[in-house]
Amino acid sequence: MSTKHTKAADLFIENKEQQVWHNKTLHFVRDKRDKMAMQLPEWEVLRETAHKIKMHTITHLDHYLDLFSTRAEANGIQVHWAKDAEEHNQIVYEILQSHKVRKLVKSKSMLAEECHLNPYLIDKGINVVESDLGERILQLLNEPPSHIVMPAIHLKRQEVGKLFEEKLHTEKDNSDPTYLTRAARAHLREEFLTADAAMTGANFGVAETGDIVVCTNEGNADMGTALPPLHIVTMGMEKVIPNLQSLSVFIRLLARSATGQPVTAYTSHYRKPREGCEMHLVIVDNGRSEALSNEDHIQTLKCIRCGACMNTCPVYRRSGGYSYTYFIPGPIGINLGMLHAPKEYYDNLSACSLCYSCNNVCPVKIDLADQIYKWRQNLDSFGKADPMKKVMSEGMKFMFERPALFRTGLKMAPIVNHMPRPLIYNGLNDWGKGRELPQFASESFAALWKKGKVSAANQKRSNHEQ
Amino acid sequence: MSNKAAIINRVKQQIRTQYDMPVLPIKGIEYADKIAQFKETLRAVGGEAVELKQGEDLDTVISLHYPEAKTIASNLEDTTLATISPDNVNSAHDLKNIDLAIVRGEIGVAENACVWVPQLMKERVICFISEYLVILLDKNSVVNNMHEAYEQINFHDSCFGVFISGPSKTADIEQALVVGAHGPKGVLVILL
Repeated sequence: MSTKHTKAADLFIENKEQQVWHNKTLHFVRDKRDKMAMQLPEWEVLRETAHKIKMHTITHLDHYLDLFSTRAEANGIQVHWAKDAEEHNQIVYEILQSHKVRKLVKSKSMLAEECHLNPYLIDKGINVVESDLGERILQLLNEPPSHIVMPAIHLKRQEVGKLFEEKLHTEKDNSDPTYLTRAARAHLREEFLTADAAMTGANFGVAETGDIVVCTNEGNADMGTALPPLHIVTMGMEKVIPNLQSLSVFIRLLARSATGQPVTAYTSHYRKPREGCEMHLVIVDNGRSEALSNEDHIQTLKCIRCGACMNTCPVYRRSGGYSYTYFIPGPIGINLGMLHAPKEYYDNLSACSLCYSCNNVCPVKIDLADQIYKWRQNLDSFGKADPMKKVMSEGMKFMFERPALFRTGLKMAPIVNHMPRPLIYNGLNDWGKGRELPQFASESFAALWKKGKVSAANQKRSNHEQ
Repeated sequence: MSNKAAIINRVKQQIRTQYDMPVLPIKGIEYADKIAQFKETLRAVGGEAVELKQGEDLDTVISLHYPEAKTIASNLEDTTLATISPDNVNSAHDLKNIDLAIVRGEIGVAENACVWVPQLMKERVICFISEYLVILLDKNSVVNNMHEAYEQINFHDSCFGVFISGPSKTADIEQALVVGAHGPKGVLVILL
């Protein structure tokens, strides 16, 4: 009953110390989120309102996309439309080519990852420089992010120190985070100053004003876009919201949910190109419009990419981002992957205990766990149900439909308690891996009930509670 | 390449049930002392706020905070400390070695220490490239929360505006907080 996720998770947990650190660190972020949420009496009203604004906007998306792009164009921004990743990459490359861009500084964009933009541009000879510290570390390592907000969360400082020693010529064996961050600051400052163009993603597009809003802590998006003569924004179409009043709701939720900060250091509103410069906006569909008609899974389009569902997920925390086969891990990644290509990404469905914690922290109230459950019910319809589970379900059905057989089975169950270990803990029993099975009771509940022992037990419990 | 009409039509065809917009604005948190809350929150995010007292000279306060700053960028008339103006450079790149930038903020937000800084200068890069940043803010313009802030923000027809909450920061290496990632290593808000 193993999936690609469970196999990769096995590798991750081999390093016990690292696994414990990963689990604790992400739960610490979750705790910070809780503290922030509890400081606001209106927290649940904010979540409910954010959910409603998103449901309204994505079900009137034609109107808001029209309004947003019209306003952006009136503000002097050149708007492009891409139906898929390929078109997106072509458009970006053509803009870069028309400006003879050799070096492009990027701030973090999950959409660019989704479209595999970097390899596409690098292949065509563009020098692409990631400017978010975590993203830069991974780019130098030639690895993808393992978390959407904290991309290098799986790495230890010593690994970063070693990498910087080699690439940025920092001191040998110095892995102090402040020292390393300063080294990256100096290195990237040079890249900012010599870039021909900047690219950012978009956290929000405000239809009423045409503003593109980008939230960062490092200030890399702002540094990048304030220097060269060209700024390209890449944006998934579901990032549009109606107005600044709506924006205030999302800004209050985003950083609190993501990292447990009251807000990111920078909430930047790009309205027009800088004087004498050009600004381009690429609005991307890439499967989003199709999700609109899928009422079981439409709510994934509400996502504001805060990562709270990952930080709280017991499976993500203990298996790491690389255990998932889709580039976005955790509960939202499981669902986005399934919407994108179910036959390719169904392995991730096993990475969920249906504890529903993700539903409870999501700032826009996406029904993440419900969706995972629904996908699991449909696994058989595209031929991906686990054959072992199917056999067992059939077996259970057979037994449950035959009360006499069921009772006999139950009576004999305690025999298992005395079986030799190799008979119970072997390759056939996945529940016996990494844990001890509970002992079967010597008498079943039904047997106890018949003897009147159940009410006596109840009596004992209620006395105790008094 | 796809065009706007094709994509918007496709979106329209895919929409099923439509939902109403909720009633806005919602009521946000309010503080008994907005200025005290603003100061406390700013401290928590790594910045500092001071009130300019009666009779105190702004230039002196800034100089005392940043005695080592040599290259100072500003286009404000409130200060005579500026050695370079973001309005009088040929290129944003000419502002690369700035020790300190002094800009005006228009709204302070008590709940998260945000200060609204619209781009009222030719090259906004000084807000980000400078080693340290001073923001001047009228203390009467501190509001409770972001709902109130967005009711009031003014772009002054400029191309850019930013809410700045404390210094630039990162925790990308092992979640260890480091102040001064790419932008200023310190932010001082002077309440006038």
